[in-house]
Amino acid sequence: MESLLSNLETLLLVVFAACALVGAVLVLVLREPMRVAMALISTMVFLGGVYGLLGVHFIAAFQVLIYVGAVMVFIVYVIMLLDPRDSAVKRRFSALLVPGVIACGLFIVALGGLVWDGAGRVPRAAGGAGFTLAQFSSQFLNEYWLEFELTSVLLVAAIVAAIAVIQVSRRHHG
Amino acid sequence: MDKVQMLIGLSIALFAIGLTGVIIRRNVLVMLMCMELMLNGVILSLVTFAYQLGSAVGAVLVFLIFVVATAEIAIAIPIVLLLVRHKRTLDLDAYADLKG
Amino acid sequence: MTTNLLLPIVLLPLLGFLINGLAGNRTGKGFVSLVACGLPILAFIIAINATMQLMATGGPLVQTVFTWAQFADRPFEIAFYFDRLTAVMTLIVTGVGSLIHVYSTGYMHDDKSYARYFAYLNLFLFFMLMLVLGRSLLVLFVGWEGVGLASYLLIGFWFEDPEKAAAGKKAFITNRVGDAGFLIGMFLLYRALGTLQMDQINAAFLAGPVAVSASLVGVFLFIGATGKSAQIPLHVWLPDAMAGPTPVSALIHAATMVTAGVYLVARLHGIFLHAPEASALVATIGVATAFFAATIAVVQTDIKKVLAYSTISQLGFMFLAAGVGAYGVAVFHLYTHAFFKACLFLGAGSVIHAMSGEQDIRKMGGLAKKIPITFVTFAIATAAIAGLPPLAGFFSKDEILWFAFASERGGAPWLFVVAASTALMTAFYMFRLLWLTFFGTPRMDEKTAHHIHESPWSMAGVLVVLAVLSTVGGFFSVPHFLEGQLPLPAIRPEFHHFEKPLIVLSVVIALLGLAGAAWFYSRNGARATQARTRMEPLHRLLSGKYYIDELYEALIGRPIRWISDRVFLRIGDRLLLDGTLNGMASVARGAAGQLARVQTGNLHFYAFLVLAGLVALLLWSWGHV
Repeated sequence: MESLLSNLETLLLVVFAACALVGAVLVLVLREPMRVAMALISTMVFLGGVYGLLGVHFIAAFQVLIYVGAVMVFIVYVIMLLDPRDSAVKRRFSALLVPGVIACGLFIVALGGLVWDGAGRVPRAAGGAGFTLAQFSSQFLNEYWLEFELTSVLLVAAIVAAIAVIQVSRRHHG
Repeated sequence: MDKVQMLIGLSIALFAIGLTGVIIRRNVLVMLMCMELMLNGVILSLVTFAYQLGSAVGAVLVFLIFVVATAEIAIAIPIVLLLVRHKRTLDLDAYADLKG
Repeated sequence: MTTNLLLPIVLLPLLGFLINGLAGNRTGKGFVSLVACGLPILAFIIAINATMQLMATGGPLVQTVFTWAQFADRPFEIAFYFDRLTAVMTLIVTGVGSLIHVYSTGYMHDDKSYARYFAYLNLFLFFMLMLVLGRSLLVLFVGWEGVGLASYLLIGFWFEDPEKAAAGKKAFITNRVGDAGFLIGMFLLYRALGTLQMDQINAAFLAGPVAVSASLVGVFLFIGATGKSAQIPLHVWLPDAMAGPTPVSALIHAATMVTAGVYLVARLHGIFLHAPEASALVATIGVATAFFAATIAVVQTDIKKVLAYSTISQLGFMFLAAGVGAYGVAVFHLYTHAFFKACLFLGAGSVIHAMSGEQDIRKMGGLAKKIPITFVTFAIATAAIAGLPPLAGFFSKDEILWFAFASERGGAPWLFVVAASTALMTAFYMFRLLWLTFFGTPRMDEKTAHHIHESPWSMAGVLVVLAVLSTVGGFFSVPHFLEGQLPLPAIRPEFHHFEKPLIVLSVVIALLGLAGAAWFYSRNGARATQARTRMEPLHRLLSGKYYIDELYEALIGRPIRWISDRVFLRIGDRLLLDGTLNGMASVARGAAGQLARVQTGNLHFYAFLVLAGLVALLLWSWGHV
């Protein structure tokens, strides 16, 4: 722990990580969906901070721009549109509250234990070396061009699906 | 414990909390947000490994996850809207039509 | 010596069956008649040819057709064997058979299933010839079963009538009971001797003691014979078999099929010569059946039923002769019986034809002048069966009575007494039949009386031929012809001088029977009716055929039906089989229903199951890593 708190960077890292965790727990617990959305946004922003501290600034930028800026804003708009006096707001939790929490705990314990035990076997690289955007881009478009193309296909599919959804809703409601 | 271990632990926690959220929350929108939380947990672990190994592969995957997550949300929300229009409630227990 | 004459004899009727069976409905009646009658006549000619060859060469003719199965060094062959006994049998089967085919063209002329009838009749001839010509018991058994099948098909020929169909079934099933005994006998023989060829079996038994008891085998084979030849206790099918067309009754249930049992015993004389217990059984059952059937025939009112019981009785005589070692005499009686019984049955058919289908003799009478040819031939055949000299029946019946009395191989006075009483009754009921049918005042209604007419020449001509044969047939001494093969038993020395008196006694018995019938049934049977009212209980017993059918039904029929219903149907089939199948299906359905409860439609639950599965996997791998 001492090595963690040794310099400012790692201290900030720990703080951001803790705040992200707190935000996640709040997502689980808060009653109103708008507040839940706020908690999630905060978690994401803190995660962006973590990425920045790790040296991958463009990823941090993407996180805030795309995830927070597009996805979460969209969700916030939808929450605005829907009726707050819904039954789901009065009763937050489903019937599987207790089993779910217990299973969650067990999951964390099991996966954490596995990772902890296996931690010694993975070779540690130099760490903190980081890589530049240039390296990232060239790797992306050279070695992973196939995934890049597939993603564009996926986006086309998403657009088509969105249009179809509009058609369905139009047909249904005249 | 060093940075990497802590961050991996955090990603595990985020993933678990997200999955639990899907199980225990009734509101459909909140469930979607918990799914986003799960994705964030995975992204964190990928970035951590990219940092640890010094390779850009993890970053590439992260980028792809961003794209896919966005597309997914873009479709999921309208679906939820349509469902809500049908059932007039955001409560997941009302969506049990595929029973049996 | 080998020959190739025997196979055509057997195959020609089969060819007739195939042609008429497959194409008969599409060709005209003329073609069917030509094929159906022509082929047996051709077979008869070939049989005569074979007989002449036999007489010329002296030894038996053998023809091996092919090997059916081969086990190491023991083959099962399809082979035909022609010696003097076979010659007699074959000539009877093809000769009388052809005559009956010709008769049938007239009798069945208006029937709608003309071709089918002749197909079945030819099929019967094929199997019967296989039976008599077969060299091994296996070929004989194929023929044995085959004639049973043909008999079933022909008895139940008018199968739309359920009673007639049931009669066919009864015949077949009763036969099968006897066949079980036959099969056991065959198995015992094969195990002991390693062969089923009858000439080799006879040689083995005559040569010395054999590994199996001759009496045991003899008893089992005789059980088969009782089934086929309608002896006690398996006689019940023959009277019911009168449901078939009359020519069928003449051919199958008088002249040929029912004699197969006698032929079997005569053929395997080697076994019976060394089986005194079995022979005694044969003789006893033979004479008992003869007596018993004759008592029933006295009170029968259906013309065909009288003749049916008469057949059972005469077969009893044949077995009596075989039982006391006089096999040649048994075959002699078989030969003469074929002539006069066929004549009687066909004559009855002619009467029925004239009476537009009426078979009850109480409704006949005074037919003598109206159908003279039928009357004369019927009278001649009646005299023959009663045993009036010099007709055929006299010779054969007299020999039987003589050997029953005096044979060294089992003859006894009590056998003679019972047989003689039966002969008396035979004469009596046959003349009774003649009287009631042809004499006296007509007792039929106007409409039937109007239609009485003589039969066409296809029928009347055959009657004449058979009547002639009944007259002169006795002069050809079959026992003498078969002496070399089937030696006559020796006579007890003390009885030698009884021979002439017994002949006279036979004639007296016949005449007594005639007189008795005349006395009782003249003046329209006034005295007969009186006697009947005085002996009403006896009459009821005899009319009810000693209630044997009812006894069998109660002892065998009902228990079997009960077991089939209660045990096999309800418990076995419904409970066990259906229950198991349905049970398995409902188990599957139940299990599926239970498993379907996982699908609650609730997304929370599904996600929880995902998490739970993941947790389980991780915990397991954490423990085992």
